[in-house]
Amino acid sequence: MALHRYRFRAMAAENEVHVHEPSADRAAAWASRAMAEVARIEAKYSRYRPDSVVSRINAAAGGAFVEVDAETLELLRYAGACHAQSGGLFDATSGVLRRAWHFDSPRVPAREELEPLLALVDWHAVEIEGSRVRLGKPGMELDFGGFGKEYAVDRAARVLAESGARSALVNLAGDLAVVGAQPDGSPWRVGVRHPRKAGMALASIPVSSGAVATSGDYERFVEVDGVRHCHILDPRTGLSARGFQSVTVHAPSCLVAGSATTVAMLKGREEGLEWLGALGLPYLAVLGDGAIVNRFEGTGNPA
Amino acid sequence: MAATEKPDGALGALMRAALALPILALAPRAGAAVVGEVGASVLGYKERGLMKATEPILFGHAVIDDVWEVEASAVGDILTGASPQLVTNVNGQPMQVLTGASVYERRHAGDAKVGRRFGELTLSASAAVSNEHDYHSKAGGLEARRDFNDKNTTLTLGYGRANDHVGSSIDPNLDAPRTTDQYLAGVTQVLSPVALVQSSLAYANGRGWYNDPYKFTLTFYPDQPLPSLLPDLRPDHRRSWAWLTRYRRHFAAQRGTLQADYRYFQDDWGVRAHTLEVAWDQQLDERWSLRPALRYYTQSAADFYSPVIPRPAPRFQSSDQRLAAFGGLSPSLRATLRLDSVIVEGAVGYVHDASSLRLGGSGTSAFETLRAVYGILSVTYPF
Repeated sequence: MALHRYRFRAMAAENEVHVHEPSADRAAAWASRAMAEVARIEAKYSRYRPDSVVSRINAAAGGAFVEVDAETLELLRYAGACHAQSGGLFDATSGVLRRAWHFDSPRVPAREELEPLLALVDWHAVEIEGSRVRLGKPGMELDFGGFGKEYAVDRAARVLAESGARSALVNLAGDLAVVGAQPDGSPWRVGVRHPRKAGMALASIPVSSGAVATSGDYERFVEVDGVRHCHILDPRTGLSARGFQSVTVHAPSCLVAGSATTVAMLKGREEGLEWLGALGLPYLAVLGDGAIVNRFEGTGNPA
Repeated sequence: MAATEKPDGALGALMRAALALPILALAPRAGAAVVGEVGASVLGYKERGLMKATEPILFGHAVIDDVWEVEASAVGDILTGASPQLVTNVNGQPMQVLTGASVYERRHAGDAKVGRRFGELTLSASAAVSNEHDYHSKAGGLEARRDFNDKNTTLTLGYGRANDHVGSSIDPNLDAPRTTDQYLAGVTQVLSPVALVQSSLAYANGRGWYNDPYKFTLTFYPDQPLPSLLPDLRPDHRRSWAWLTRYRRHFAAQRGTLQADYRYFQDDWGVRAHTLEVAWDQQLDERWSLRPALRYYTQSAADFYSPVIPRPAPRFQSSDQRLAAFGGLSPSLRATLRLDSVIVEGAVGYVHDASSLRLGGSGTSAFETLRAVYGILSVTYPF
């Protein structure tokens, strides 16, 4: 049994597929199917492509209904469930806030800049009728950025499993899912990135089934007067999430793991830990002051 | 906004929404790759003053490395207490039925099934044995299942053979064999992320002894001083067709699943039967769910069914109520409690079979209305 690794670029990131399989040809065929699935989802839901489903819906904001397929509908329903469960903190229409936030220049948008955008953040204005979708206000935007990548991880894992892979892993920029344990029965060891020391892991967690996602304040951020403002934005205030440096969750699916981490980041330290505890999933959180709350079993020190 | 929902419901709500999508979702596990469950259940049955049965059952099921599927169950003991040689006069008609079964019977039974997945193809083999002092049965089967169309379509083909031996506590010399070959073809189609339909056709060809050694028909003729007594006489073969269709649809907003099953059965004895069952499985919260169900059953009588011995005595004759024309209604309610490491399930049901419940009105007038209650309690440990 050999481990085959494939690296590929998609969704503006470095990604990888690992497959344990004696036949290199078969492993390559499976991996390419998984990569093709990621590419399919990227093309379908990218807001940078004018022909994507998301672009079509956004272009019609405030106007006509747009007919969408079952997959898109279910993803929107998923986004709706996240919105409801998070008390409105997870909002797939909050992407417009990026118009005020430019993480390449160290400044925090003023209230006057954010307010007109906040008026466009309104999940309740996403109207779904049968298989048609309409954004109720002109200028509104749907953004699958909060769950599209996680969905792609889940789909790629399913494609690997259906191809016949017994032991494989798909990792899209740190969000990953596994298909089965390693061939000897041992779990995959997943390193959790240190949020302040690039290239360092702060823990290694065992995973033999399910998916792991991490949200952190270190992906894209600006520092203004010693305060870090990250790209995870609160749909109520338009301001950055506070209280955690990073949150890692192990869940049955990457979609759920990703929603759990994002909502925890947005809820902040106290409520976020409460939310994670209530979910009952294994998690590792690095608090704003660097303290670690580790609710994984069998975590090893990578050092 | 659903911010008022309990936070402990969040994971369940997210998982249900995620599972509507065609993704891979497996319980997060850190350790080795064996998943399954073991459990025990007990069944109680009471038919007004007639019969009481309890069945303690042990069962287990495991998927190993996502490739092997193993399942097995064992019935330790059945205790059946039936009123022996019950004599009844029905509606003042000139007939009596003698019915009975050996009292406080013990049964040992077990079955096992092993399957292996080869990509989209799963092959499995099964075996079952059941032993009572007057009945022995051995059965084996092979099944092939193949997924198509991105796992949205599954075809199943199966073959099974059962070898039974019928004995009798009345006649110790009776040792009559019966062999049944069964063929099955089925298809499961995913209609949408929340709906699926399953349909299968089964054909059974049985040869051998079908008579009930405990059943006799007793008839008083006005012109005869002594009653006539005829043992159960049935054909030595039975060919039957059964067509079963199941439909499942999950309603995410209502947190419930509609389950509708229809079964058509016919055999060359003249029995035609329809069964319709509709159930609604309602999730109440993260721990509790309730499933009320209603089943309706109706059948025509076998050609040779007769509550009295006709004159002249025919070649085949049986007064077994199960071959009469009748219908039945059976409501049931199941409650499931999911705790962290154990699932407890309790179900109660009521069975009401009567001639008047037959589709289109009247069944066999001699049919003795049956009313029974049953309960099932089971405890399952997933791992």
